[in-house]
Amino acid sequence: MRHFKAIFRKQFLDLFKNIELLMNFIIYPFIAWLMGTLASPNFDGVPPDIAEMLVAGMPNMVLMMATMFAGMGLIPNIASVIAEDIEKKSLRVLSMAGVKPISYLLGVGGVTFLISVFSTFAFGLIADLASARELLIFVAAMLSAVVASIFLGAMIGILARGQQAASGLTMPAAVVLGFGPMLAQFNGTVRTLMTPFYTQQLNAIVDYFVGGPAAAPLWQSFAIIWGNVLVLGILFAVVYRKKALAKRA
Amino acid sequence: MKTISMNNVHKAFGDNQVLKGVTLGVNSGEIFGLLGPSGSGKTTIINILIRQLTADSGETFTDAESHEIGLMLEQDGLFNRLSVMDNMVVFETIYGLPRARTIEALEKVGLGDAQKTIVDKLSKGMRQRLVLARAVLHKPKILFLDEPTSALDPLTARGIYQLIRQLRDEGSTILLTTHNMEEATHLCDRVVLLHGGKIIEEGDPHEICKKYDAHKTLPDLEGVFVQLTGGKLQ
Repeated sequence: MRHFKAIFRKQFLDLFKNIELLMNFIIYPFIAWLMGTLASPNFDGVPPDIAEMLVAGMPNMVLMMATMFAGMGLIPNIASVIAEDIEKKSLRVLSMAGVKPISYLLGVGGVTFLISVFSTFAFGLIADLASARELLIFVAAMLSAVVASIFLGAMIGILARGQQAASGLTMPAAVVLGFGPMLAQFNGTVRTLMTPFYTQQLNAIVDYFVGGPAAAPLWQSFAIIWGNVLVLGILFAVVYRKKALAKRA
Repeated sequence: MKTISMNNVHKAFGDNQVLKGVTLGVNSGEIFGLLGPSGSGKTTIINILIRQLTADSGETFTDAESHEIGLMLEQDGLFNRLSVMDNMVVFETIYGLPRARTIEALEKVGLGDAQKTIVDKLSKGMRQRLVLARAVLHKPKILFLDEPTSALDPLTARGIYQLIRQLRDEGSTILLTTHNMEEATHLCDRVVLLHGGKIIEEGDPHEICKKYDAHKTLPDLEGVFVQLTGGKLQ
């Protein structure tokens, strides 16, 4: 517990001094808020029928930013933290002090999860969901996706040869998971291909809130997201053992 | 019983044979120096002894768990965006120590007034002192110091020597690497001279100097080293 506390505190302080990483937690809700504001039916110069169309479409766009946050914001974030600590030998010093890799990963991932809770509620409030039940469903789906992204980001951080390499490795994953659901809205093939991925299912849950075409029942989307969490958790455990984080530190 | 020992250890990185049958033993409560030029295998020995590297062959023994070891390595592993104190608090929490110990360690290395300074803004010498404070915070059983005074001015280096001796007197076993022969002569109880991955001489530094009548060539162990190697790098 002491070890977890030490890493959590270190990571928490570090995050607030690392503006690039902190921005990932702020910029997506901010853009979502901006979209929500732009969708106001009272803004000038736009014909009422177009404004109405925009308003109808906007909640979806706001929640779409939440999907992008889970995919594009968090994966590079956690990968970068771990890769930096490996590259700068901080992890070696921590492991020599007796910190087990699991305490380290819980501490680092815990901070990411905690800040993501705030970002998630921000998305929920900006989207102005119809009821507390909807907000609860949204938060549950988002936080499940956050856990999946933490596992994926941590895995990339461990595999990468340094911070720069981590950034390169996260890009394809972040683009597929972040933009994929958006493209899937316009293309059936992409939608089919994206079905097994957790961000696509997060997007499907979002569609449910805005009354879009239900691709699958809610429970099915949750089942796929949790399946992703499970698979990524297992893959992470395999990489963690194979790469022996403490030895590489 | 030695606190640290290596017996006929070999280590290669690809085709580069870095250690060629190194055998050494460090007694409890002594300052032991590994001397040699860059690339002679000093850091590899430390990495094997702290179990970050595995020897290709031979036996090694370090009589301490990893948390009983203090480390000061070339790549310092400091958290650059945090303050001096916040860096120390990470380890204070890990070891479960009171705040007074952290302040005491920082004052010992002359960083008592720099607690709020962000590590990224420290000079190289100050960073080195912070790493030393971190290494001695939990009063380790064994302290590994890789070039502990390489970036320090002579006055600060003297302060560090004093601290290292104090730690030895309090019971810590200290293994340090240096290419500064003068430093080793004055600080270490025993030394080994490494050249090309082999030990070419070992013993009390003053005895070694006497044995080779070193003052006739260059002062202290540097003269011995030049005599033994012909001044050639390997």
